[in-house]
Amino acid sequence: MFLSGVRVMETEEVVDGCFSLLLEGKNIAVNAYPGQFIHMRIADNLLPFLRRPFSLAETFPEEGLFRIIFRLIGAGTKILSRVRRGDVLDCLGPLGTGFKPCEDLRLSILVGGGIGVAPLLFLAKKLQEKGNKVIMYYGASQSADLIPVHQFLPPGVEINLATEDGSSGFPGFVTDLFQTHLQNGLLPEEIFACGPRLMLQKLAEVHRNKKIPMQFSLEEMMACGIGACLGCSVEMQRGENETVFKRVCRDGPVFKSCEVVW
Amino acid sequence: MADLRVKLGPLELQTPFMAASGTFGFGEEYASLLDLQKLGALVVKGLTLRPRKGNPPPRIVETPAGMLNAIGLQNPGLDVFLSRELPRLKKSGTAVIVNIAGDTEEEYVTLARELSRAGNGVLALELNVSCPNVKKGGILFGTSPSILASLVEKVRPVCTLPLIVKLTPNVTDITEAARAAESSGADILSLVNTFLGMVIDVASRRPFLANETGGLSGPAIRPLAVRMVYDVYAAVKIPLIGMGGILTLEDSLQFFMAGAAAVAIGSANFPDPLTIPRLTGELNKYMKKEGIDSLEEIIGAAHQNTV
Repeated sequence: MFLSGVRVMETEEVVDGCFSLLLEGKNIAVNAYPGQFIHMRIADNLLPFLRRPFSLAETFPEEGLFRIIFRLIGAGTKILSRVRRGDVLDCLGPLGTGFKPCEDLRLSILVGGGIGVAPLLFLAKKLQEKGNKVIMYYGASQSADLIPVHQFLPPGVEINLATEDGSSGFPGFVTDLFQTHLQNGLLPEEIFACGPRLMLQKLAEVHRNKKIPMQFSLEEMMACGIGACLGCSVEMQRGENETVFKRVCRDGPVFKSCEVVW
Repeated sequence: MADLRVKLGPLELQTPFMAASGTFGFGEEYASLLDLQKLGALVVKGLTLRPRKGNPPPRIVETPAGMLNAIGLQNPGLDVFLSRELPRLKKSGTAVIVNIAGDTEEEYVTLARELSRAGNGVLALELNVSCPNVKKGGILFGTSPSILASLVEKVRPVCTLPLIVKLTPNVTDITEAARAAESSGADILSLVNTFLGMVIDVASRRPFLANETGGLSGPAIRPLAVRMVYDVYAAVKIPLIGMGGILTLEDSLQFFMAGAAAVAIGSANFPDPLTIPRLTGELNKYMKKEGIDSLEEIIGAAHQNTV
């Protein structure tokens, strides 16, 4: 974990209201692995007060660069959407426990909903480098919200799109699209997912029926981002009848789907 | 280097900047970002006799110039603290103050007795009678001066360490609680804990936090906290630890001048984990520039022209 200034190298509004920042920060680019995040201070005057966590969408260790992709949703992301090339941002990271794919995996399934697709882009790249066949399912509410994911993915990753209003790809939820493929004989070895809680919950039901191992990246409000304040804790199963609170920022954000209490 | 040491009755600190309870955990997470030895003291996360699970999420929400939290005293309990956290803290060389909380007077007494045992390396105890986020105990002990006095009287004889009582601001007159704690044996008072608050999620038409209410901290509460330190300084003779939304050296100086002999940094650690080392350096420069030899010269300075 490093606390350092990172320089904005490139900004792009990839689709309406959705931004990509390419940032220069050697320590983060070199040390991060998929599923980890950075905790970004937004304003010197601390308005807004707290840092904002962003999943890493891509790293270039040799160039010392990394990318975050975010949607403009509030005061913090509004300020961040206006940064310019050359600006220096106060950044803490890489943080958290990310995806831990099984070593002998050959076929990986990635399921992303909305902006939750960001950490899966990083994961897809790494899995493909290791010789995995990667199939990505990616859904949004409408065509205009779909991030051009192919722009951030290596060739060869199979991309299946879904939109709730049917304006692009499969009409309906991304989980329904995935279910259709399962029924048609798709045999996933392990599934990695990030997105709205409802989407993850639906996937977890698949897990219960088919016993497919799954790793989910969760999101919670965070204050410290390093595991000290216990503000981002979520309930997890421990054994049959007991639950504990685990920290999304340190024990996660990636958890096994069978741990999560819905 | 100016002399930053401060003496609060029986408690001596290397610098007047402490990490406030609940914002620094047991120090482990921050140890890779800063040297824990450079803290005036680390007040650990509120400790209870038995492990506590804490409140369901969401536990925090950002507010204008601050945040609400309702963690609910999640902690591993006394045994795990003594066997796992304390040895590691001692090794780090930091000055450890343990914040203790209980559902009953007996629990506070047991905690105070166990933590006072010689050789375990605890510098002082802070009696948490002001946590707003638990159903039993906590704030209930701090809102009635007579109940507070009874608790402090029972803890005092078994506590061989300097005894700090942390006051809640959620009362009509904080000086009543301050006097009650002083007269029943507290060595030091720390103030203020968080202000009870609420954010409503208009989409769901329900309170945002699962606990419904939470404690407000951050710069939003600073003027309220400064006023309370100022009033309590005039009401008691024992030393004070001031806290409430400190971000900058100027904020800290306000608390010193209101009457605090040391200050604690809480929520500011979240946006800037290096707040305490930064303030320590800035205070050093300030004292040199102003020709101040000892911080005592400015403690309570704001009172000097009042009748």
